Amino acid sequence: MSEQIIQKPLPTVDGDSEVLWDGLKEGKLLLQHCADCGHVQYYQQSLCRLCQSKNLTHKPASGHGKIHSYSVVYRAPGPAFKGDVPYAVLLVELEEGPRMISSLVGKDFDALDFDLPVKLQTVKISDDVCLPYFSLT
Amino acid sequence: MSNRSLRGKVAIVGIGQSPSGRVPGRSPLDLTADATLKALTDAGMDKSEIDGVLTGNAFASSFHRFSVALSEYLNIQPSYSNTLQVSGATAAAAVNTAAAAINAGLADTVLVACGDSLLTGMTPDMAIRAMTESRDQQYEMPFGIPVANTFAMTAHRHMKEFGTTSEQMAQVAVTFREHAASTPGAQKTDTITIEDVLTSKMVTTPYHKLDCSLISDGGVALILTSAERAYDYAQEPIFILGGGEHYSHEHIFLMPELTETGAVKSAQKAYDMAGISAKDVDVAGIYDCFTGTVLMMLEDLGFCKKGEAGPFVEAGEITYGGTIPTNTHGGMLSYAHPGIPAAWYHFAEVVKQLRNSCGERQVADAELGLVHTLGAGFSTQATTILGKESTL
Repeated sequence: MSEQIIQKPLPTVDGDSEVLWDGLKEGKLLLQHCADCGHVQYYQQSLCRLCQSKNLTHKPASGHGKIHSYSVVYRAPGPAFKGDVPYAVLLVELEEGPRMISSLVGKDFDALDFDLPVKLQTVKISDDVCLPYFSLT
Repeated sequence: MSNRSLRGKVAIVGIGQSPSGRVPGRSPLDLTADATLKALTDAGMDKSEIDGVLTGNAFASSFHRFSVALSEYLNIQPSYSNTLQVSGATAAAAVNTAAAAINAGLADTVLVACGDSLLTGMTPDMAIRAMTESRDQQYEMPFGIPVANTFAMTAHRHMKEFGTTSEQMAQVAVTFREHAASTPGAQKTDTITIEDVLTSKMVTTPYHKLDCSLISDGGVALILTSAERAYDYAQEPIFILGGGEHYSHEHIFLMPELTETGAVKSAQKAYDMAGISAKDVDVAGIYDCFTGTVLMMLEDLGFCKKGEAGPFVEAGEITYGGTIPTNTHGGMLSYAHPGIPAAWYHFAEVVKQLRNSCGERQVADAELGLVHTLGAGFSTQATTILGKESTL
């Protein structure tokens, strides 16, 4: 049990999400665009959440967004994150529309504010996984 | 409402609680069974009459089918059973589901129970990690997002949009602590001030330690039966007048608006079924995982206008003499928070209030009560309206 709880959770890649995690390894945050209704979605799935079309394509996000909300974590959610606190979790609204959960690169918490612009920065956290983090512009 | 309404069809006839707070050496099944036996005694009922069992899951128990394991533990062989999982909303969802099952003839008398030992059955890190693991493995958990964080981000946005202050959130903790001080068995009864809340350790902004619910052990059981049978037992029946639920998203980033939750819809459905509105409710049990959560629920359940919950709480509207006395037992912030069972205490307390059995913490002339439970960053919402016979 102790070994299990000190490891950081890594994404469990599945058939829907493989393309996202592969794209991140190349520095791209892929969003799904519906060719039928124009809806743009994060995260990848087999259907458009708006019109249920399967006519979806993946396009890289511009990487620009703004902070819709945020919270700076001081009490780690389990031992795996104890070495990281404090860190800021961001709810980012991407320029293309979708929102996503991410973390701030760095610890400039005083500079954080609502609706502040941020820029995508992929960070390699294991041999197989790059996470989409954001930095202040 | 159509004739498919649950209004007045089912009543709560028994409530029971195990010891709660710090209760070492007792398993989740033991705590739940203890509460069940007390609920049977309260109702004056033999366990042979229970033919339905609904529970939530216990983090500190390895059983996947907690309702089935509980039945075996108590040597009950029900004809209806399920272990529900809609996180913090499970309590009201289970009561609503039990009432529906009874009304549909799937069972006559349903035990709705849950117990867990989050405090002594797990280390604090394991307990918090277990709750965190309820977040999505791919798009949330890798960023180190505690479940507290999803609620924190909604509260934070509420502060930005409506000018809600940390002091107003802290007032919720202070008020519920005052309520707990009059409640036998409450885990935390020492007086706290707004200053104490604001100077307690920061957990995840804007929430300090005292803005967050406790970690506890404990079990609670409710026994529901049909209105026809409800008068055969020892206690005054407290009727289910309405139930409503709403499930708006799974991921926090797909929550439609951070400052307006699915509680608006779950409550409206429950009010419509009961034929009442928020202003008719005399006493409330509101899921209080965090202080700001209560502010948002006061708005979404219709007790005050959107954006006005801060001043509403500051004006004393959630305590005795106010618009809606809430969590008169002290809630998860001060009475107990053993995980999923936490909101079962809100039911036990509202039933006690409607039975007029609360002694010095009795809300005068309470006839109509509301319990609202929610979970998973406002993903899951379930409301139940309860009333005395006089409200039928």
